[in-house]
Amino acid sequence: DVNAAADLSTTFVAMADGSSFNVKLYIYDLSKGLARQLSPMMLGEHTSIVVYGEEFFFGGGGIMSCFPGGTILGMSDSTVDLGNTEVPRDLFQEYLSSLRESTYRPEKYHLFEHNCNTFSSEVAQFLTGTKIPSYITDLPSEVLATPFGQALRPFLDSVTITPSGENGMNGYGQW
Amino acid sequence: MAENSGTDPAVETNTEENAAASATIIKVTVKTPKDKEEIAIAEDSSVAQFKEEISKRFKAKQDQLVLIFAGKILKDGDTLGQHGIKDGLTVHLVIKTAQKSSSGSSQTSASSGPGPSQGNTAGTANPSPAGNLGTPQGSGPSPTPTQPPNVLAGFGDLSGLSNLGMGSANFMELQQQMQRQLMSNPEMLSQIMENPLVQSMMSNPDLMRQMIVANPQMQQLMERNPEISHMLNNPELMRQTMELARNPAMMQEMMRNQDRALSNLESIPGGYNALRRMYTDIQEPMFSAAREQFGNNPFSALGGNTDNSGVQPSRTENREPLPNPWGPPDASAATTTTASGTATTTSSTTSSTTPSVSNPLGISSSSLGNGMFNSPGMQSLMQQISENPQLMQNMLSAPYMRTMMQSLAQNPDIASQVFTNNPLFAGNPQLQEQMRQQLPVFLQQMQNPESLSVMTNPRAMRALMQIQEGLQTLQTEAPGLMPSLIPGGMAAGIPGAPLPTGVNVTPENPPPSGPAPAPAPTPTPTPAAGTNTAQQQLMQQMLQMFAGGNALTQTPEVRFQQQLEQLSAMGFINREANLQALIATGGDINAAIERLLGSQPS
Repeated sequence: DVNAAADLSTTFVAMADGSSFNVKLYIYDLSKGLARQLSPMMLGEHTSIVVYGEEFFFGGGGIMSCFPGGTILGMSDSTVDLGNTEVPRDLFQEYLSSLRESTYRPEKYHLFEHNCNTFSSEVAQFLTGTKIPSYITDLPSEVLATPFGQALRPFLDSVTITPSGENGMNGYGQW
Repeated sequence: MAENSGTDPAVETNTEENAAASATIIKVTVKTPKDKEEIAIAEDSSVAQFKEEISKRFKAKQDQLVLIFAGKILKDGDTLGQHGIKDGLTVHLVIKTAQKSSSGSSQTSASSGPGPSQGNTAGTANPSPAGNLGTPQGSGPSPTPTQPPNVLAGFGDLSGLSNLGMGSANFMELQQQMQRQLMSNPEMLSQIMENPLVQSMMSNPDLMRQMIVANPQMQQLMERNPEISHMLNNPELMRQTMELARNPAMMQEMMRNQDRALSNLESIPGGYNALRRMYTDIQEPMFSAAREQFGNNPFSALGGNTDNSGVQPSRTENREPLPNPWGPPDASAATTTTASGTATTTSSTTSSTTPSVSNPLGISSSSLGNGMFNSPGMQSLMQQISENPQLMQNMLSAPYMRTMMQSLAQNPDIASQVFTNNPLFAGNPQLQEQMRQQLPVFLQQMQNPESLSVMTNPRAMRALMQIQEGLQTLQTEAPGLMPSLIPGGMAAGIPGAPLPTGVNVTPENPPPSGPAPAPAPTPTPTPAAGTNTAQQQLMQQMLQMFAGGNALTQTPEVRFQQQLEQLSAMGFINREANLQALIATGGDINAAIERLLGSQPS
């Protein structure tokens, strides 16, 4: 694959001079496979951001990171290339630390309103200035808009989705 | 200061460098992880100037500020315009608290999880795109931008992993990866199963066992539940497990049943555990018995759950497919296995004459098993057991058995609960009362080793059954006769050696339940017979008799004295044959006669 090779080499180069890091969005379609059987989820998709060779996501345990494809959900069903970022890793780490202390504390997780997709969106913005596809972020509000969603709301408030991963950042740990 | 004279290049150039110059003021949102502020700044300011404003607003030092916009780090010398920062846009800010170290590798290694393929399988077919990056900081191989997240790759990865990864990555990680892959793609499971390599591996129970045992989790489990190692050491079982594993639908069903059963059994405190242990070792004969005879219910329930509840995590569900509930009731199905080490399970179906089966374990088991022992399957098992003393002995001598007995003995509550639950007693509260009272005695008896030894006597067992049957018939035929018969029956019919329980279970009538330590003839076939009092009396007598700890080992001759006389009076002069017949039939004259006639000696 010429394209693949080109991509690869670009990334290599970019990585080599340390100035550019590829950012991807991993999208997990939770409605298929064993995931569906194990955890009936209404939120159709779980997303995470992959950068610096790590996968970052927000779940019930707070902001977590793992080896890409390293959560129990395995490899993502689809990915979106968000481009590159100049943000170096350590800066990103700091950024995440701040996030973790503020808006992305574990208890802040809300299945619909403040979930992994919210996180992915924000991080994507931070890193690349681009947003994640809107159909993902719009999903919750769509559901909430239905009477069904409204009825379920109290229940959903307590639900969190945390695919277990290798470990959480700074020892947040997985389930 | 909104001098809008953009026409003069000089001025413009000036303003570019001059924060306070004439350019438009724009409002830029500066967003930190915690905070958000709107900052008004000249459109053509430099980043440095911007930072100055920011540091005032956020009360941080300028050199702590890192601005990010559109994925780019804004350097001091840049201008806002250079980056396309316009009115209303948002710029991200990170206020550095720590020293900017050149490589955050310390954090990295901490958080980059121990992915199995990390670093190792750099070149392997690796579905994970951002792949094997050990160190993020620009070193090392890059993430492959395109990833083939398909199953084949996944599977290929597995084999690749097993080649490469096994060495360095530990088994756990490998397993985890496998698990993950499996989770994401159910078809993969079946694909894996179909892989000839896997199949051959699976059909080799030894290998599987080794693999399983190697798993530290498994080891823990094994420590906790010795039955598991038992199970693992049994190639037959392993094979069954593999079969099951191959068929996910089966497995699912199995698990479901297990859960159901589990909840059933859970309600019985203490007994459950004991039963569990007991079951494990008996599972084989039970299975074979159940397979043809019965099916789902209590049986596979028991079969399914016991130590599998502990084993589940290790994926060694080894329960066979649910037995066919409508299979031909074939007592000979019980042939296959015998409990631990008994030589030959006599595939004897001869005892098919008696639909009743001695239930040596008494009510306790039956109710524990939700009527397990009442099931036809169990009955056939019991038959088999009675045929094969060895089996019985093994079963009884197994530690779990003792445990159960002990726990029952120590725990009269359980026992009584068990009794009350027993459907046998369901219709007869009086009997229950009786039982409860007699409980301690009964339990004593259970522990009597002599009882145990008698249990292993096939003839005794058969005798029990016969007697039981006889009594039953009598009961229905001549209810009034019972009371008077009893004492006589007792003397004659009881082989003397105390038996733990001679409960005969007949499918037709509510099983007579005699936990009577006595041989069988539980005098209580049906309460409906209207001989409640009689039954109770009988029971009591029996119990007392055995409470007395008698060991009247009477010879058959003595025992069947009466019958022998009768037989000879009828013209059966061959005393030996008579005796044999009587023994075989447990003192039942009619049956003995038939037997004698059937064999037609002289």
